[in-house]
Amino acid sequence: MNKPRVSFFREYRTILIFFLVMLVLPFIIGLFEGSTPELVWNNQGTYSKFIQGLLIEIFILALFAMSYDLLFGITGLLSFGHAMFFASAAYATGMLLKFTSFPFWVVLVLIFVLSVAQALLFSLVLPRVKGITFALVTLGMASVFHIVVTSTDLSKYTGSDVGLQGYPVPAFFNASAEKLRFYLIALFILVVTYILYKSFVKSPTGRVCVAIRENEGRAMMLGFNTANFKILAMIISSFTAAVAGTLHALYQPAIIPSIADLGFTVTGLLIVLIGGVGTLSGAIIGAFVYKLLDFGLRRFIGEGASFFLGAVYVVFVLFIPYGIVGTWMVRRLGWNQACKQGWQRLLRVFKSPPKD
Amino acid sequence: MKIFLRKNSALLITLLIILVFLIVSSRGMSTQDFYITVLRSLSAGSVVFLVAAGFSLIFGLLDVLNLAHGTLYMIGAYVGWTVFVRPDTFVDLLAPAFLLLSGLTLTGVLKRFTGKFTLSTTARRLISWGMIALGVALAALILSRYPIAMWDLENYTRGPVTFSFFADKEMRLPLEHLSFEKISPVLGILGLLLSSLIYASGIALLGRETRAVGKFNWRSIILFIVLLAAALLVIIFNTPLTEWLVKIDSTWLFLVAIIVAIAIGVGLGAGMETTLIRPLYNRPIYQLMLTLGLSAIGVEMVQAIWGRPGFIMPRPSIVKGSGEGCPATSLAGWLENKCATIQFFEGRIRVYDEIIIPVLGIIVLIAVWILLKRTRIGMIIRAGVQDRAMVEALGINVRRIFTLVFALGVGLATFGGILAAPSSGLNTGMGASLQTSALIALAIGGLTSYPGAALGSLLVGLVQQFIIKYGQIGIEIPFTDIIFKPSPPLVPASTVLLMVIVLLFLPGGIMGKKD
Repeated sequence: MNKPRVSFFREYRTILIFFLVMLVLPFIIGLFEGSTPELVWNNQGTYSKFIQGLLIEIFILALFAMSYDLLFGITGLLSFGHAMFFASAAYATGMLLKFTSFPFWVVLVLIFVLSVAQALLFSLVLPRVKGITFALVTLGMASVFHIVVTSTDLSKYTGSDVGLQGYPVPAFFNASAEKLRFYLIALFILVVTYILYKSFVKSPTGRVCVAIRENEGRAMMLGFNTANFKILAMIISSFTAAVAGTLHALYQPAIIPSIADLGFTVTGLLIVLIGGVGTLSGAIIGAFVYKLLDFGLRRFIGEGASFFLGAVYVVFVLFIPYGIVGTWMVRRLGWNQACKQGWQRLLRVFKSPPKD
Repeated sequence: MKIFLRKNSALLITLLIILVFLIVSSRGMSTQDFYITVLRSLSAGSVVFLVAAGFSLIFGLLDVLNLAHGTLYMIGAYVGWTVFVRPDTFVDLLAPAFLLLSGLTLTGVLKRFTGKFTLSTTARRLISWGMIALGVALAALILSRYPIAMWDLENYTRGPVTFSFFADKEMRLPLEHLSFEKISPVLGILGLLLSSLIYASGIALLGRETRAVGKFNWRSIILFIVLLAAALLVIIFNTPLTEWLVKIDSTWLFLVAIIVAIAIGVGLGAGMETTLIRPLYNRPIYQLMLTLGLSAIGVEMVQAIWGRPGFIMPRPSIVKGSGEGCPATSLAGWLENKCATIQFFEGRIRVYDEIIIPVLGIIVLIAVWILLKRTRIGMIIRAGVQDRAMVEALGINVRRIFTLVFALGVGLATFGGILAAPSSGLNTGMGASLQTSALIALAIGGLTSYPGAALGSLLVGLVQQFIIKYGQIGIEIPFTDIIFKPSPPLVPASTVLLMVIVLLFLPGGIMGKKD
């Protein structure tokens, strides 16, 4: 395993550029509407705050989709119950803050324990069922959770259909008062998670996960206990989704039960498919595309928005066959060449003007 | 005998469990309640089966998890409702439908010409999809000016809800007879024909194989002319046809509705498979995204055309009577007086919901079973489910069988939709909830197994209906005085739990093959 050392900054160039751009974006938008960086820093400027809110939602979605990509795109486990990881963490945060007086770090530790427990619960069925059956079993488990959350018998704790409301949020994470701080926290968590995920995929453990996706029998034959690797991927993925869920609970004023149903898992799947399966960066790009499309269509078209959303999916599948990042990777060589040729042709025009 | 027992152990155990379940539950409730609940479970199971069977055939042969199946079921119900309640709309739509279809019969002929162009793949795809979009846009433009009698979503007194209310009371609201006003008939007909030719040539260009078809296909030309003639005939005899449809007994009209629903399903299925699903066979996961997108489009279109609020569908006249001699005491009495209900012990059962739906479900079960087991096509389908590459290697055109199976599966779903509509009503959420039930039934029975689909649907129906019944009367928990009443959310939860338990012990489902 003697590979050339690549410096950290060079390796994660793109995500660091993304980080810097996102860092200054609220201030730039503030400038456009006429509020100075200082005002933006003090949480003034309506439009900048609005964009921050939209971006926080995108970051949370991206975190969720990235955890789904680790499970589905990297390890090859198609789960239809992923929303449960997200929703249970959101509900746990809300309920612990509302009904107990634990300090916030205890809440975080409990959520970590909860996410690991859920991953182990899903892993219980792992050795028995594979492929689409695993998807259906996880769907079943998540549906039971959704039904528990929406059932009227527990409405005192979960708020059933209306959702969980009125839980106190710690002052440090108060999004309505300190939106920029929350924005920076979410951005930081997203970027750190991405870098950790990338290095996980490049580590020997991550390589085994990819091998499981490609051919589980062969990975087993090489002497790896594939079940352990799958459980590890499940735990990491579950924990990331739980972090996203906690952020969601802290950011939103209420937790509605729709984040626990199949639709939300499908949202994650769609984001991964839009971005490109197994690319991780596709999850971030997909989250941007998905949320902006969804938001824009609902804003400008209104009722018929899901018609166009559906049409966009169909067009996507037909014309961007492997998702944005996936298709870009496939076509990069050809495009690079075409770009280079075009550039040279352009240069030639400037260098030697045609003689009369 | 021993081998038989060992081979069918899972099935036998399941049947035993059903038997025990039935015996136990029969003690908790009165005999009459018990039989009615069993009949209701059969009815619910039949509808689930119609969707699940198509789903499992498609998944088994094509490996496509068609998540738009529930939406297609819903479209079947709404189309059937249109034929049944608004025959005038149906007749008005018939001629444009024929015209738009007529172009498609010519794709084989058009391929001879489009095959001559040599284009790069990207250009070919762009041009063909552009032509399809152009054709559809032109058709939409002409249809918006074409005289079609429609209900009015804005005006409640002429909305779908009011129409079905009055049709249920045997009083038809005055139907419309529109004439060509906004567009001249010649322009309308020629425009529709032109648009269908444009998208047909787009589809012809889309096909991967570019070689020209050797023999000039006269059959497709004849079909084209027949469709054109049919369209012209329908336009000329529009009014008499509508009046005839209004006049005939509603039982016959219901049969027409069923036939139209199945035809729409078959057409939609064939169209979906040939244009959208076919390019995706080598990237299975993107089929999920495509069918999800199609499902969203379908639901939104149903909402745009038929409106958001749900409505009822009137029952056909043969199960509607309530006058003298009703409720009937026997089946013969029902046929004589066309009663809505039959006397059964002290209670009554509804003929349509609890007798006709299960009977039709069982008839379809047997018919498809015969198709699969006794015909050549069925043999190819079964072989394809086992090993697709081998069937292809034997020189059988599997692609055509794919289209056929997809069309058959969707046709079954739309049939289920129109069959369920009179008993469960129509609303825009009916597809999604039934698709979940069908998926659970398939997971229980085995994803690619046809008898498994039937068994799973039966189990799902039984569990759902018994939990609903116990929600009304309560269960006495043994050795205690507590009476437990399952709340409505437990109905889906119970089927889901059943699925999880079955899958944990039999990962492939009851009848599925073992890994």
